[in-house]
Amino acid sequence: GQEFQFGSCRVEGVVLQELWAAFRAVKDVVQAQDNITGVRLLRKEVLQNVSDAESCYLIQALLKFYLDTVFKNYHGKAAEFRILKSFSTLANNFIAITSRLRPSQENEMFSISESARRRFLLFQREFKQLDVEAALTKAFGEVDILLTWMEKFYQ
Amino acid sequence: EPLPPHVTPNPLSSFPVPCVHAGLPKPTNITFSSINMENILQWSPPEGLQGAEVTDTVRYFIYGQKKWLSKSECRNILRTYCNLSAETSDYEHQYYARVKAVWGTNCSKGAQTGRFYPFLEKVALTTDKKSISIVLTYNVSIYNTKANKTWSQCVTNQMLVLSWLEPDTLYCVHVASFVPGPPRLAQPSEKQCVSTLKDPASALKVKILFWYVLPASVTVS
Repeated sequence: GQEFQFGSCRVEGVVLQELWAAFRAVKDVVQAQDNITGVRLLRKEVLQNVSDAESCYLIQALLKFYLDTVFKNYHGKAAEFRILKSFSTLANNFIAITSRLRPSQENEMFSISESARRRFLLFQREFKQLDVEAALTKAFGEVDILLTWMEKFYQ
Repeated sequence: EPLPPHVTPNPLSSFPVPCVHAGLPKPTNITFSSINMENILQWSPPEGLQGAEVTDTVRYFIYGQKKWLSKSECRNILRTYCNLSAETSDYEHQYYARVKAVWGTNCSKGAQTGRFYPFLEKVALTTDKKSISIVLTYNVSIYNTKANKTWSQCVTNQMLVLSWLEPDTLYCVHVASFVPGPPRLAQPSEKQCVSTLKDPASALKVKILFWYVLPASVTVS
């Protein structure tokens, strides 16, 4: 079967196709709610040219943010738009991935983890500049961008 | 001069052609369609303006950027499609497109697409120094009409040998192309059906039954 290989972090048992199918089912509904088309949270500077070694730190930070902030606070909207099934599929799979990530804590990895943290902060800062509800809607609407990046590490 | 980051561009400022916003009906059914790596914007003409000399003007927008962009070949056109392949070729970007109807100096609001993501439409390509190889995978579906069961199998070459089939049974097969990555709707082939031969052994059994067993039972009774 296929697995995620974020550098040394390996995650088995997650079927990326299922995440894609879940998001594709709600993409039009969710993205139609995002009227701030001039802002993209997951910009190229956040996700482009991420080294394998960095990828584990970055995916952990992003998924943790999605779980603790986006999914946690978007649940009401998901119920309102009747997309809870897809919403739960995505959330549960993000939980499964983060629970199996073990990024190295060794000192020589500090500069790499810092680089990943700077990328994440770019994303988080952009998120915080928006009105909360607009930011939640935009972040959830950009899950396809996140899955595209994750797919590069799925083998 | 770019807009402040959190302001959605004013719809009318994106169209340089001076026209009066006179409440003309918008074009409808505006969508991107992606066929063989070509991204074509399509729409239907506005309702209620049949016969009028209406033209359309197309604009497109890169998600996360600030300005609506135009394509000169798709300004004041009579056809209802516009090839935006070149403009949407970076498949890591996402795009919007807008079409407005123009009649004389009057114009409609812009009809806008949803967020178009070419990555979800792309075909899986791998390359080495001298060639690009396209990994074509086929999803073969096989339906046993007698057992009313279907199973499917992915194959990467043009032949699949199905063994262990039941004799004297009609099987129907259709094939669809399959590309790894985000799910895509593939047009399956036409269904083809074929019957397996009768099982010679069971035919023999039948022979035995009719030729030997039955006559014996007839004579006994």
